[in-house]
Amino acid sequence: MTDDTGAPARHGEPIRCHPSIVVERSLSGIVVLGILVMQLGRGALPALLAALFVGLVLFNYRQWSRTTVRFNATDVVVERNTLFKTKKTLPYAKMASVNINRGVLNRVFRTARLQININSGSGATVPEAVLTFREDLAEEIRAGMAERLYGSENVLEDEPAEPTVVFSPADVIVHGLFSVSTYQTVSGFAFLVYSVFQLYTSAGVGGGALVSLLMFVVVQVAPSVSLISHYYNYRVYRRGDTIYLEHGLIRTYKTSFAVSRINAVRVKRTLAARLLGRSCIEAEVVGLASGSAESLRPVLCLLKDDATQQRLLAEIVPEFVYEGVREKQPEGAKGVLRVRAAVASFALALAMIYPSIAVYRTTAPLPGIAGTVLPFALPLATAAAILVIWYATSVSYRITEFGTDSDLFTFVNGAVDRETVVMNYDRVQMVRITEGPVARFFGVARGKVYLLSAIGGASVGSGYFEEGRLAAIGETVMARIASGEYDYRKNSI
Amino acid sequence: MFSPGAGTDGYRRLNRKCMLSMYIDYAVWYLLLLAAYFAVRTYAEGFLGPYYDAVGYGLVLVLAITLVYIAVAPPVFYARYRYRITEDRVDVLCGILFIRHTLVPIERVHQVEIARGPINNLLGLADVTITTAGGEASIRYLEVDEAETVADRLNDLVGRMLRERVPGPAGA
Repeated sequence: MTDDTGAPARHGEPIRCHPSIVVERSLSGIVVLGILVMQLGRGALPALLAALFVGLVLFNYRQWSRTTVRFNATDVVVERNTLFKTKKTLPYAKMASVNINRGVLNRVFRTARLQININSGSGATVPEAVLTFREDLAEEIRAGMAERLYGSENVLEDEPAEPTVVFSPADVIVHGLFSVSTYQTVSGFAFLVYSVFQLYTSAGVGGGALVSLLMFVVVQVAPSVSLISHYYNYRVYRRGDTIYLEHGLIRTYKTSFAVSRINAVRVKRTLAARLLGRSCIEAEVVGLASGSAESLRPVLCLLKDDATQQRLLAEIVPEFVYEGVREKQPEGAKGVLRVRAAVASFALALAMIYPSIAVYRTTAPLPGIAGTVLPFALPLATAAAILVIWYATSVSYRITEFGTDSDLFTFVNGAVDRETVVMNYDRVQMVRITEGPVARFFGVARGKVYLLSAIGGASVGSGYFEEGRLAAIGETVMARIASGEYDYRKNSI
Repeated sequence: MFSPGAGTDGYRRLNRKCMLSMYIDYAVWYLLLLAAYFAVRTYAEGFLGPYYDAVGYGLVLVLAITLVYIAVAPPVFYARYRYRITEDRVDVLCGILFIRHTLVPIERVHQVEIARGPINNLLGLADVTITTAGGEASIRYLEVDEAETVADRLNDLVGRMLRERVPGPAGA
């Protein structure tokens, strides 16, 4: 191990982060202050802001110069000896993952961010330590720590690994475009259609059209571009019990975690992906926070054809391949779903009465085709929406499934965007079964399983099944604890 | 089984004072709702224009439904509430319209907390919140002594489990 000056850093020897961290931390300040100075022109205030910026740089320099990191035999100690002194001890035994990512500034300075995550539920969204080192040093430290974290196997980061499945740039683009939820896509395109409609009906580019276009970009285009940039050059492979992910265009990510940290695996198929015969895999992993707004659920397979996805699932996480029988919802569920659809249809029809009358009165006197079609547009749209509700109800009844096996259980949900979640009994934290008045009448209930997830806690809900069947999840959890099948050494957090 | 007073199935019921606590709690919220209603009736005529009467009738309907719910909910809540703490699990059955059955394995308990709001404080009641890594479950409206006993019992069970896991000295 070497420090930032190139000298060897022995165990226990304090080292400092790379000095570029001062620039990194000051940059956001200079952008804000620069804009303010440009807006305010000359005078005392810009001078004060410039002094503030110098103060910020000096502050960040002091923070950097007085912060040291020690990689001890059993823990990592981050110590800051400033006005507010801190000493953070991160034991290797409690670490969930050590990852590296590199942004634009990191590339300029040839550095990398080392992110250390602890198995903490409360602080699951933010890494416990983010340390910037020279790139080769960060890689070296990460390799050393990975060896401690993931067992005694030799994890050589430079060793070439042959990924089981190769993801082409086309796969990345398809993933970016079609892994976004259908509801988001529909609302995005609704904004686009409204924007085009506004452009068509008004003389020029009005405010309404621009706002709608902007909303289309925010809701549809930006998430897709972000996903494409995030998963560019995507690679996934497994060595021993560790899964490695590498991807990123502007910011690059190198993530690894032990298979034992996976609490659940989700196979997702959005409507568009199903039409293309593709699906992707996400994992619910504890301790992978990056501190950014990006999704914390690691993707184990981008949208790929179903056969390849199944093959990758079996090769990367065979522990979560569910081979048991899955049961459909009982007849009682049909009753509950129909009552729900009837209530939703009635509420929609009721809500649309007044607007329909208002639109009819306004548009009926219009000449030509507009006067013939527009007065009935809202009632027709309402009728269509009610048909969609009933169709979705029928699909939901047909596709919702639940299955239990000796080690795993699974829920299949989603009339539009389908999701198959496979969970291990030993990762279940709490089970809640809920029976509403209608569900009670039809003799069914819904279950919710609480797991520790990348964002703290997360729950996975089931469809409508007999209460006894859902209660079997909790009973199996208890039976595994009582029989000793549950090994706390592997599963405790 | 946990303590005397439990039914044949081991489940315990709440003290009847829970209804009083709920009534007081609901009454406070209902007063706020009434105040909002009178504020709308007094000041919103100009703002609502032709919809003033319709909104007024709607609010009266909401107030009436809320009043019926407030009258009925506490006895139903009391009648349905059951909880059970055994060596390995916490079971809570509760709900007014929606009945929830929550199961928390003792093995997953991270933290136990006793909390008392001002109304519960007045009536000598407390809530026990059980935190796991995936979420929280609570046993509500317990008498303070019982809440302390429940929390102690849970802490004992968790502590015993952890002690059993600590490897003893060689040869011991």
